[in-house]
Amino acid sequence: MIEIQNLNMVYPNGVKALKDINLTIERSEFVFVVGASGAGKSTLIRLMGREFLPTSGSIRVFNKDITRLRRREVPYYRRKIGVVFQDFRLLENRTVFENVAFAMQVVGASPRQIRRQVPEALEMVKLTGKAKRKARELSGGEQQRVCLARAIVNKPSLIIADEPTGNLDPETSREIVQLLEEINLRGATVIMATHDKEIVDSMRKRVITLSAGKIIRDEQRGVYQQHAH
Amino acid sequence: MLIRNFLYYIKEAFCSIGRNGWMSFASISVVTITLLILGSFILLNLNVEHIANEIKEQVEIIARVDENCRPDEVEKIRVSLIQIAQVEEVRFVSKEEALERLKEQLGEFMEGYEQEHNPLRDSFEIRTINPEDVPAVAAEIKKIPGIAAVDYGAEVVDKLFRSTNVIQWVGFAFMIGLAGTAMALIANTIKLTVNARAKEIMIMKWVGATEWFIRWPFIFEGIILGTIGALIPSLILIYAYGEAFNWARMNLYFLPLVAPEQILMDLSKLLLLLGATIGALGSMLSMRRFLKV
Ligand SMILES: Nc1ncnc2c1ncn2[C@@H]1O[C@H](COP(=O)(O)OP(=O)(O)OP(=O)(O)O)[C@@H](O)[C@H]1O
Ligand SMILES: [Mg+2]
Repeated sequence: MIEIQNLNMVYPNGVKALKDINLTIERSEFVFVVGASGAGKSTLIRLMGREFLPTSGSIRVFNKDITRLRRREVPYYRRKIGVVFQDFRLLENRTVFENVAFAMQVVGASPRQIRRQVPEALEMVKLTGKAKRKARELSGGEQQRVCLARAIVNKPSLIIADEPTGNLDPETSREIVQLLEEINLRGATVIMATHDKEIVDSMRKRVITLSAGKIIRDEQRGVYQQHAH
Repeated sequence: MLIRNFLYYIKEAFCSIGRNGWMSFASISVVTITLLILGSFILLNLNVEHIANEIKEQVEIIARVDENCRPDEVEKIRVSLIQIAQVEEVRFVSKEEALERLKEQLGEFMEGYEQEHNPLRDSFEIRTINPEDVPAVAAEIKKIPGIAAVDYGAEVVDKLFRSTNVIQWVGFAFMIGLAGTAMALIANTIKLTVNARAKEIMIMKWVGATEWFIRWPFIFEGIILGTIGALIPSLILIYAYGEAFNWARMNLYFLPLVAPEQILMDLSKLLLLLGATIGALGSMLSMRRFLKV
């Protein structure tokens, strides 16, 4: 599903954020990316979302090297992935329904498809009763669930999430990760960068540990290693 | 373009015009003022040109014949005049006829001047095919033997041609400048809209909207602002020019103005087209850099 080879990322200011990353992720895997602050987790996630291009190396997703996509092909790649943000990125003045429908409207879905798929997505994240509420009236956990619903509404087969629980309390964080696990069980590959030891330890999924831009550990059913070195 | 998308773009455009009420109002005003000046200028220019053409039409050369010429010599002069290529019409005016005309014009002033004491000369009135040829033809006529004097109001004609040219060029430069200003202002307004909706645009990109899908609402916004901005001066000019024309017909009947029905439809079409174009270009300008992610 994802095959990363000899990936290097040097930011324009000279910071070497990723150094020679090699990594394979299979279809329907659930993967945690962990590491100290500045280790390069966000950089890796953002490269998978084709936010910018790496300095060198290749990132094959769905059998296509996304570092070689043309500018106008990028939107069509993004339709096949779902992105979850730490800061939710919702349109605060619009309703929950509208926020999720937005993701379908802008890719040209029909009103009929929207009426069918948005409630499905909201049900998946257990927000059916709050469809008509304005996004700004929701709690942090609810907002993150809207963000999740938006990420899955177009039925992507890959979900990438950069610290989706970073702004949430432990209890709410657990709910969000459980939702991600459900989405994963329905077939989507999930890649989640996080700091949250408790969550990583409780899930026993594959854990990739980054340190100073390098992969220093990659374990199936792994745990968070505090002082990894 | 899908109809569904089209409706979405239009709806978004109107929403954002409403949301940025003041800025929208400001840019519509700027377009209105610009196109009002532009439109007035075009009307003025067209009328100056029209009047100039009318005057040029009336420009004739008058060649006076030496008193000592015999009738057969006068006839010879007439033939040489007709043979000049640029000449369209030659009319002989005898000194008797000239005196009659003067008497008609001046009435009692000319009493006492009878045909026996006619102080006038025989003359020819010559019209050229192109008014611009008048000076050259006049010079040529001067060389014909038996011609005593040639008149054509040389300076008036020359100045007229030169100044209408200058007016047209200055006007043209002025119009380009104004259109550029309006475009920059629309670009700024749309940039504000774009900035105000930066988050929305970012989300759109992340969920896979194409660049054109993101662009269209802003382009429509520009087009709508520009068109509204053009509609107002069109209406003002249609009304004001009609009034001015009627007033001039009553009070300045000698001034040959262009009739409203001849130009106002074309002018409004031109203004609307310009408004829409300025709006569209303005919004393209404002988004050029923004869409890079
Ligand atoms: N846009 C940028 N320009 C320059 N340097 C950057 C940029 N983004 C990140 N960096 C640098 O790259 C390195 C890796 O950053 P990254 O954000 O990937 O770390 P992270 O593992 O996500 O950290 P955190 O846990 O704090 O989010 C850091 O040294 C950071 O300062
Ligand atoms: Mg980070």
